Amino acid sequence: MHLVQPDFRRKNLKNLSMFKLYKIVLGVLIPLFTAQIAFAQSVTVSGTVTEKNTGVAIPGVSISIKGTTQGTQTNTDGKFSISAKPSDVLRIVSIGYTAREITVTGQTSNLTVELEEAQNALNEVVVTALNITREKKSLGYAVQELKSKDISEAKEANLVNAFAGKVAGVTVTNSQGDMGSSRIIIRGETSISGNNQPLFIIDGVPVDNTQNLGNSSISATAGARDFANPISDINSEDIESMSVLKGPNAAALYGSRAAAGVVLITTKKGKGSKGLGITVNSNTSFSSLLVLPDYQNSYGQGADGQFSYVDGKGGGTFDGTDESWGPRLDGRLLPQFNSNGVPVPFVAHPNNVRDFFNTGRTLNNGISFAGANEKFDYRFSYNNFDQKGVIPNSSQSKNSFLFNSTYKITPKLTLSTYANYVNSSADNLPGSGGKRSTSTMLQFTWFGRQVDINELKNYKDANGKDINWNNSYYSNPYFIAYENTVGQVRNRLIGNVELNYKIIDGLSANFRTGNDNYTDRRKIKVAYGTNGTPFGSYEEDAYTFNENNTEGRLNYTKSLNKDFTLDVLAGGNLRTTTLENNDQLASKLAVNGLYTLSNSRDPLISYNYYTKQKVYSAFGSAQLGFRNYAYLNVTARNDWSSTLPVANRSYFYPSVNGSLILTEAFDIKSDVLNFAKLRGGWSKVGKDANPYQLINTFGFIAPFDGNPQQYINSTDLDPNLKPETTNSTEAGFELGLFDNRVRFDLSLYNTNSINQILSLDVSTATGFSKKLVNGGTINNKGLEVQLGFTPIKTNNFTWDISTNFSSNKSRVKSLYGNIQSYILGSDGTVQVLATVGQPYGSLFGTAFERNAAGEIIVNADGTPAISPTKKVLGKYTPDWLGGITNSFTYKKFNLSVLVDAHVGGKIYSGTNSTGTYTGVLESTLPGRGTENGGLSYYYAGNDKTTKAVQVPAGSAAPGGARVYDDGIIFKGVLADGSANSTILPAAQYYKGYTNADEAFVYNATYVKLREIKLGYTLPQQWIKSIGLQGATVSVVGRNLLIIHKEVPNIDPETAFNTGNAQGLEDLTLPGVRNIGFNINLKF
Amino acid sequence: MKINTIYILITATLLLSTVSCKKELDDSNVNPNASETAQPDYLLTAAIKASADTYWGTTNNMNSSLLFVQHWAKIQYTDPDRYIYTNTSFQDLWTIGYSKGIINLNQMIKQADAAGTPNYKGVALVLRSWLFILMTDAYGDVPYSEAGDIKQYLLPKYDTQRDVYLGVLADLKTAQDALNPTGTAIAGDILYSGSISNWKKFANSLRLRVALRIADREPELARQVIAAIQTEGGSYISANTEIAQLNYKTSPNQNPISNLFDTRDDYRVSKTIVDQLAASNDPRLPVYVSKAAETQLYTGVPNGLLTADAAALGLTRTSKPGSYFLAPAAPAVIMSYSEVLFDRAEAAARGFTGENAAGLYSQAIDASLQQYGIATSDIATYKARADVQYDASNYKKSIGNQKWIALFGQGLEAFAEWRRLDYPQLAPAVAGALNGKMPVRFIYPGTEQSINPDSYKAAVAHQGTDALTTKLWFDVN
Repeated sequence: MHLVQPDFRRKNLKNLSMFKLYKIVLGVLIPLFTAQIAFAQSVTVSGTVTEKNTGVAIPGVSISIKGTTQGTQTNTDGKFSISAKPSDVLRIVSIGYTAREITVTGQTSNLTVELEEAQNALNEVVVTALNITREKKSLGYAVQELKSKDISEAKEANLVNAFAGKVAGVTVTNSQGDMGSSRIIIRGETSISGNNQPLFIIDGVPVDNTQNLGNSSISATAGARDFANPISDINSEDIESMSVLKGPNAAALYGSRAAAGVVLITTKKGKGSKGLGITVNSNTSFSSLLVLPDYQNSYGQGADGQFSYVDGKGGGTFDGTDESWGPRLDGRLLPQFNSNGVPVPFVAHPNNVRDFFNTGRTLNNGISFAGANEKFDYRFSYNNFDQKGVIPNSSQSKNSFLFNSTYKITPKLTLSTYANYVNSSADNLPGSGGKRSTSTMLQFTWFGRQVDINELKNYKDANGKDINWNNSYYSNPYFIAYENTVGQVRNRLIGNVELNYKIIDGLSANFRTGNDNYTDRRKIKVAYGTNGTPFGSYEEDAYTFNENNTEGRLNYTKSLNKDFTLDVLAGGNLRTTTLENNDQLASKLAVNGLYTLSNSRDPLISYNYYTKQKVYSAFGSAQLGFRNYAYLNVTARNDWSSTLPVANRSYFYPSVNGSLILTEAFDIKSDVLNFAKLRGGWSKVGKDANPYQLINTFGFIAPFDGNPQQYINSTDLDPNLKPETTNSTEAGFELGLFDNRVRFDLSLYNTNSINQILSLDVSTATGFSKKLVNGGTINNKGLEVQLGFTPIKTNNFTWDISTNFSSNKSRVKSLYGNIQSYILGSDGTVQVLATVGQPYGSLFGTAFERNAAGEIIVNADGTPAISPTKKVLGKYTPDWLGGITNSFTYKKFNLSVLVDAHVGGKIYSGTNSTGTYTGVLESTLPGRGTENGGLSYYYAGNDKTTKAVQVPAGSAAPGGARVYDDGIIFKGVLADGSANSTILPAAQYYKGYTNADEAFVYNATYVKLREIKLGYTLPQQWIKSIGLQGATVSVVGRNLLIIHKEVPNIDPETAFNTGNAQGLEDLTLPGVRNIGFNINLKF
Repeated sequence: MKINTIYILITATLLLSTVSCKKELDDSNVNPNASETAQPDYLLTAAIKASADTYWGTTNNMNSSLLFVQHWAKIQYTDPDRYIYTNTSFQDLWTIGYSKGIINLNQMIKQADAAGTPNYKGVALVLRSWLFILMTDAYGDVPYSEAGDIKQYLLPKYDTQRDVYLGVLADLKTAQDALNPTGTAIAGDILYSGSISNWKKFANSLRLRVALRIADREPELARQVIAAIQTEGGSYISANTEIAQLNYKTSPNQNPISNLFDTRDDYRVSKTIVDQLAASNDPRLPVYVSKAAETQLYTGVPNGLLTADAAALGLTRTSKPGSYFLAPAAPAVIMSYSEVLFDRAEAAARGFTGENAAGLYSQAIDASLQQYGIATSDIATYKARADVQYDASNYKKSIGNQKWIALFGQGLEAFAEWRRLDYPQLAPAVAGALNGKMPVRFIYPGTEQSINPDSYKAAVAHQGTDALTTKLWFDVN
């Protein structure tokens, strides 16, 4: 071979210059040639394009004459008409369907073309990078698509949740509660410290999905409110399809931000509509709690088995205590918070936490109009979303307006526009986390189990005095819900203008500028008299974001000869992103009830921050096709980023991939094997830094007595920063068997992210808490399998099974110098780390002291000893994810059921730890009282500093000492190896666990019944008479059931925010299940 | 031809824009949010404020050292009072000490050297020394020689406690030499309002403090330090008006104790000190201790009760600290005149100086009582008591007991001196979790185990288990 090579190369070079000449000649000849065609004898072909399963007409289908640029589209009735000459081949293509080719035989009318929904095989057309539609078979990487029906029927408040369980390799962590953020990760975390979420693109324009959490140094919301990530602004009803480009191979053309993959959203268009195509969609859904901790109902508030209420802050017997180690709930008479000093029965209210929550309800109503003629098409939609949450007084709403249009200015010049205005507003978002002034779950986890929640609903008595079960640390939960509110308003405009010019046949120029702009304002009120914040506070936190992308591009498509086709493009992009944050806090209000920044006792605390980032890019790509069965794709991009030092500002990254359709290449025509494809590729993606990461700076804090204060910012920056790089290889195999009733798609990938820009945690003894470095290599490898079956397929009945499975293994290979760990986040003593040699996201926390045999060492006082050395307690990333959808179609009925699984990974549960400490959980019952197996014991002379002495249950103690019946012996050994025999009161026994994080780390595995949809398409003959073109009704349930989980009391799928510190749960809001009804009418 | 023209046009446009783009890229990355330079006076204010806040604040004072020395006790959530801590409990002193204190002061020193303003350097060295003393007193071995210099030391090693004390003594000598009352004035000094002579006295007083810290281990070195101060003709803090203390203001610059009591009610005065003050009819009792709201009695809370037992005493039937300490503008005392006098008394008693130990002891008690505005006649009555008299046969007992009372509220210093002097003899917390022992140090911050593991392990290997009960080098017996 090596002998031939030089010769081959020379020949290639010659070909290249030949090719240039050939191109120029063609450029002149082609217009002449196409002009000639017009003289050939033409016939008219007309007909209807329908969906094979339902028989419903499909509008907007593109019909073109193969090898030319002539074409048309179907109208709203699915009808088309085209002039062609006999023996021309008509190519009928619609996204989401298998493309078809029909040879023209002569004049034809009433031709019916049935299109079949594409099922991962053959001629499916998908949207790829830069919004180029390509036949899926030509791609050398994995792409998976969700269609409009997958998204819009089972509506989610947060768009990201629609991916859960449906796309292989995608991990979605749902919001806590019913509002809030959701995190999406494709193929594992590739960046140790950076954003690992994919880039979102709508109709070619990148849109922002950064969760603005609030500045932790001043904002009351930082860590206390889970603001929804901005992609949730997008109305699911407007989406035609969402393509997931997994990993850098698919996304190389997008550059920097696509290293974690891309989600491409294509909106619905007016193409092919006739008249006023009106669609009305109405969705109503209800939500209720899916998981709530199991509480015990045997013991009430107090300590040492005692309780008596006077003022709720220590004036009575343990009435300031916010734990449930009090008396038995046996109906004994005790003064309580609602009894005015009168002893009343001390009894359980088993549903007191559940009763606090409401049934949530969401209304989602939308209307759209679409129209089209030869030169112009448009679609306008309006959608209103209105949600009342499960937490009292929580609500959010959204109004979305979308207009898009295409105008053929001349046959060669097309103008397209897209404008989406969204107004999202919330009067009050639910409080999460552990802040006393706002948290919902904090005081239910520190709680008196006897509390009758209904008695708290009126949170002030007749004299205006606050009523609560505890006044030492908490305000009434309804007071918090109604008085301490967090409002948010986001006004967002996403738009683009695109010009497309067909220079000559095959060559077109494209110019596009797009903008995503929003302002996000939050008003955070804490009322006067709130426990812990007696003067209340008021904060206004505002963000203004703008990103502009302006892009110019040339595209060239050509059949080189009968074997080769070529698609090339080249272009440039200018990106400018600005973000401004302005946060002001009046930390103590001057007068009650007035929420303004000037109503302040103390000087205002202010924070403002402005960033600007510019990235210039040049890119190109080429696809060479051979006989429709072999494809080679090459891309290249160079970025110049403002955030890097001049010397390292420019970085280049290429990719190459290819695909081979084995069945066509080897001409395999078999009923068993319909389709087989091999694909593979390699890519590199560079990534820049955040702005202003080069030079150390000094910040200011409020002056002390007229003296300004300045300090060194806590991150040591790096003036020689380099871009980070992600290299990825992937290979895949696709199969279609038995008339495509079995479909198989396998992907294997290996991704190395190197030279990462890390804001490394360093010992504060260095004077800094973080140091920005280039360092760190993380490896992700994994596999994804999609398997589809159609076990039954008759005219009336189809049963489809679609499954996906993915497994990702990550390993942190190095960090920086001798540094071994990077802290992703922490909760108390538990840290989430990226540690060299470990999988990403290991949980590191305190553990019991154990002897060589693994037995827990117990202190002389009977409590377990805690090791001074922290230990790795597991990793949060799952071992594998899977989903299985069964869908059944019977005539006009469609039923689909999605079950998904998240297997492996660990989670630390703060709810379990705190609830164990406070004795509210059912799991703290064993040992409490003789009936629960508790030992009876006494202290000699009632002196608790002496060792507890066991007595038989029911017997008296010497000297009339008090006998307790809640004794438990911690299972472990003393330092000398002998078995522990010290009796502990239950409260001390359970509290002893909470110093070991180990005791509250659980397997995060779960299996969920994620979605059930039952839809019915009304028959044409019924609806025609009332002027409808189409009508569907459906019932949808989401998050219906946790079929299996291993962590008690919480939903293991809980995101506190969208950052990388996952695997920590602390007093998060309970998850919800949704059941909804959807009606869709087309006029 | 047409295509070629277009290609040329596009290439030219791209080239042109690339040239003009370079400047735009440069301009875009100028940080508009923070300054790239610092002013020494602003750095000084910030360093003093941050250090005083953490020294006087919750984690190092109220929730730990004040409990250990039984000045204060917990009435709610009594785990800390029972010596139940995790390795995040003592993070604050370390984190703030290094990353708000020492780094700011190092920056000041660097700038002072460059600008030729030695008074800033001297002040920065004095404050930095105080912070290193606080840290080594609490943790033992700590990063000193490699601290606060990230460009050179990313993983700072821990110096032995001996080396830290000796290093600090050298630094304080350097500071003493740099400080010049007739030199360029300093601003931003919220401790001494720019009085360089007071800073010189404070520097010497700290040298005296450290000399005594090492006295049990390195008596000869300690003697030399004190002798050197005398040879230099140096003086110490010599009046209550020269106390090194930060006078807090109103909110948001109020005293951390006042700030905490605004919203929480977890602490009471310890029964140990209330009983001691009451037994000796100490006129400081009403200053240190408030009367219980309900009973109007001075009732202390025993240290280390189980939560239930503490709560049973009743929030309204037990004493909070005195209003002097709860006031928003209450001072955070870093080094008092009375402490200096006790130190001089001890130096005399140890034979390091020829001063009169008994006389200085008596003056120290005067200074402490005067610090709280006690009338002269009451002072005389108090000093006349037999149990207050100086016992020359056991100076550690006399000085230890009286210093413990005088240091009320200064948890970290009281904790160090109690460990060193072994007086007063305190009984462990009632339901203490250390098998009958008392804490004699802080645990290192848990983050060191994950981000500076080799240095951490070396320190543990040298000093002993990272536990509350591991004795430090200076703490003989």
